[in-house]
Amino acid sequence: MLTIEEIKKQLKDKYQNSIKNFDSPYSTRLFVDIDKSKVRDISNEIIRMGGRYLVSVGYDNIARDKTLGLIHNFSMDRDDIFVSVRTAAPVDNPEFDSITPDIPNAGWSEREYIDLLGMKFKGHPKPKKLILADDWPAGVYPLRKDVPWNLMPPAAEDVAYELDEAPEGCTTIPVGPFHPTLHEPAHFAVFVDGETIKGCDYRGFMVHRGIEKLCQTQLTYNEIPFVAERICGICGSVHAATYAQCVEFAAGLKISRRAEYIRTIMLEIERIHSHLLWLGIAGHLIGFDTVFMQSWRVREAIMWYSEKLTGNRKTYGMIVAGGVRRDITPELADELRSVINTIDKELMVIYKAVAGDTSIHRRTKGVGCITTEEAKLWSLVGPTARARNVDIDSRRDHPYAAYDEMQFDVPVVDSCDVWGTVVVRILETFEAIKIIRQALDKMPAGPIMTEFDENVTPMRHAISAVEAPRGEAVHYLISGEENRPERWRVRAPTYPNLQGVPAMLLNDQFADLPIIIGSIDPCFSCTDRVVKVDVRSGAMSHLSSGDLEKISRAKKTAGR
Amino acid sequence: MDILYIVVNILVFLALAPFFEGVVRRVTARVVQSRQGPPLAQPYWDILKLLGKQNLSPGNLAFKIAPVVALASILSVIMFLPLGYRENALSQYADVITLIYLLTLGGVACLLGAISSKNAYALVGSSREMITMIMVEPVLAMTLILGAVKVKSLAIPASVLSVTGAGYGASVIIMLVVYLMALQAFVGRQPFDIAEAEVEILEGPFIEYSGPNLALFKYYMLLKQMFYAALFVIVFIPAIKTGFYGLDVLIQLGFVLLVYVLIAVLGSTHPRLRIDQAQKIYAVLIVASLVAVGLSVYGI
Repeated sequence: MLTIEEIKKQLKDKYQNSIKNFDSPYSTRLFVDIDKSKVRDISNEIIRMGGRYLVSVGYDNIARDKTLGLIHNFSMDRDDIFVSVRTAAPVDNPEFDSITPDIPNAGWSEREYIDLLGMKFKGHPKPKKLILADDWPAGVYPLRKDVPWNLMPPAAEDVAYELDEAPEGCTTIPVGPFHPTLHEPAHFAVFVDGETIKGCDYRGFMVHRGIEKLCQTQLTYNEIPFVAERICGICGSVHAATYAQCVEFAAGLKISRRAEYIRTIMLEIERIHSHLLWLGIAGHLIGFDTVFMQSWRVREAIMWYSEKLTGNRKTYGMIVAGGVRRDITPELADELRSVINTIDKELMVIYKAVAGDTSIHRRTKGVGCITTEEAKLWSLVGPTARARNVDIDSRRDHPYAAYDEMQFDVPVVDSCDVWGTVVVRILETFEAIKIIRQALDKMPAGPIMTEFDENVTPMRHAISAVEAPRGEAVHYLISGEENRPERWRVRAPTYPNLQGVPAMLLNDQFADLPIIIGSIDPCFSCTDRVVKVDVRSGAMSHLSSGDLEKISRAKKTAGR
Repeated sequence: MDILYIVVNILVFLALAPFFEGVVRRVTARVVQSRQGPPLAQPYWDILKLLGKQNLSPGNLAFKIAPVVALASILSVIMFLPLGYRENALSQYADVITLIYLLTLGGVACLLGAISSKNAYALVGSSREMITMIMVEPVLAMTLILGAVKVKSLAIPASVLSVTGAGYGASVIIMLVVYLMALQAFVGRQPFDIAEAEVEILEGPFIEYSGPNLALFKYYMLLKQMFYAALFVIVFIPAIKTGFYGLDVLIQLGFVLLVYVLIAVLGSTHPRLRIDQAQKIYAVLIVASLVAVGLSVYGI
């Protein structure tokens, strides 16, 4: 076990001259301000101490001291500590040493800031465009404060992303941007030799909406949770909860215990429905539609219950900074008990059927194999990591909400393949049912909202992680003026997991591609707006949600 | 009268193939998947709808004629089938080898259409289809040859109708099991729907087809499915001859329905295999069918 003091001491002993300041507002958070020349060494030192790379945060600090800030975040999983390494570079020469050669998972974070903030990373192995559209003008960095949030540069013709060269003797099979395996737009160029996959290149972020920029410039603290929920169509509560916790950390707010219990219950409800959804999709991806239909039938009960509790099947709008918006009455609690009892029984039937089905084993065992070491190297999270014998779970490692009082197991298997992710997810669903039962029994009485005066001291840093069904979601928040964050960075669990997919695909069969990509339960964050294009004139107009409502109502009245 | 039998063959198959597909969908939905499922007539509507849609084509001749060739070849096969245990006017002009050729021609037409579309998914799909064709064809051939060995004739009605003539010997039982296992591959359903695998290669060979051309291919697939189901009934279910032609046909169709239920249940309780895994199963089936024919030579 390491304590914050020991981490400070070890870093001071080695890098006395490069460390400017330590800040530890909570016993579980450590912020280290360092000189940018040692960013790679200190990151490696933290990894050596047992740290796991989470995400990097870049931010525009030009107005204050003409610098661009960069923060690398790490989690000490065994010690319940988050270490954030903060550094900065002058805006006229924003060059940092890349940490990607040692920590491959930092690759996307760094590429993101090349695109969005105009940073440079020395020694980055693949500094290609990641987020911005191919026709985005050079030299316009949308996350900088001087770029307006609603800037729409003119579209350009004849620009295309240059995919990596296919290895010799390989054919390129395009998977995406629209493909039944993906459910959301993203493009994998898969290089195959016969039917064997020899590599792939990924081009995603096709529906990147700039939610972070929008929230940093337009919305207030307690409007953001509702947008945060819409980051993901499946695990919305997770993002609202992570964000709310960040704000509460920054504001030094302690919310009521009952609200924390309700948050726990909401998060576990979400886990149950998400895992059942995944099990169905996984069945569909290997051509086993019966698994698909049956697990979605079982899932339907929890969807109906959610609608009764929150008014929505999904995107509950329950969690805001300061607490939750709706209480769980004793009647609703009883109903939830009976719903999860049914799911418990019915899922057990499916579990036994799946576990005993040799043809499912044939399609999932030994497929998408990567070793525990590779999984750790790529900083994989969630069931994807736990199926590879990486024993991490932020509910247990960094308890939040009411998880400190819950008794539950973290299923970990060492099969290192897709089958492992099936087992882990089903077992986790049973654990989620267990957690909901305990939470309902132990839930204390009390208010569900704690007064949040929205008056947060500017420039306070906060980091928070919540275990989403797909793995941990990490949010980083820097409080700002005008009642809104200065910087809000969201890292969904698919962000690290997707970077590990090429390693999982290597030397597998093309027929296994759907289930391998599916095994991380990818979620490309998809709430896109509708654009109407007049084909003849090429004129574009946007349909607002009001217009869509009108159209659908008109159709309904017309009886179509 | 002989001509009538041909007409009945064609009409029965054209009329009922979509219905039986509807049965498969309904059984899959109601019995296995806790769903309502589409109406029994849905496959008819599907085909009608496709007929009214736009025909898109990359512009080469092979692509356009492939669906016609496929449908024509399967209809020719159906004409020779001794439904209701009756020979027809065409029987004397062909033997079981012709039957196999015509069936293969349908498969080749699919490949031709797929390859001429030059789509990457279609190419993957057609290479898988080719492997499947090469590896399950022998099972069909051996089934027909088993009968031919027994009557020492390659004539269609004689060899097809005589497999169970001497009762269920070891060779017939082996062949029956092998045929049942290969059935899902013949009709392109799970676990052997590898060539079309929707989530990987989006219906593979048919990806570029639309409208009436696709409708023809769909009809071809439906007819092929019914042909294999009917062949099973004619070959392996001992003849229950009532003496009335119409009644014989009806009884046979009843059995065909049962085969379809089996297809539905097998299809909905298995995931799709990978082509390399399927190949291993096909190899076992080929060897087993050869053993059956070998045994039949010694009258076992």
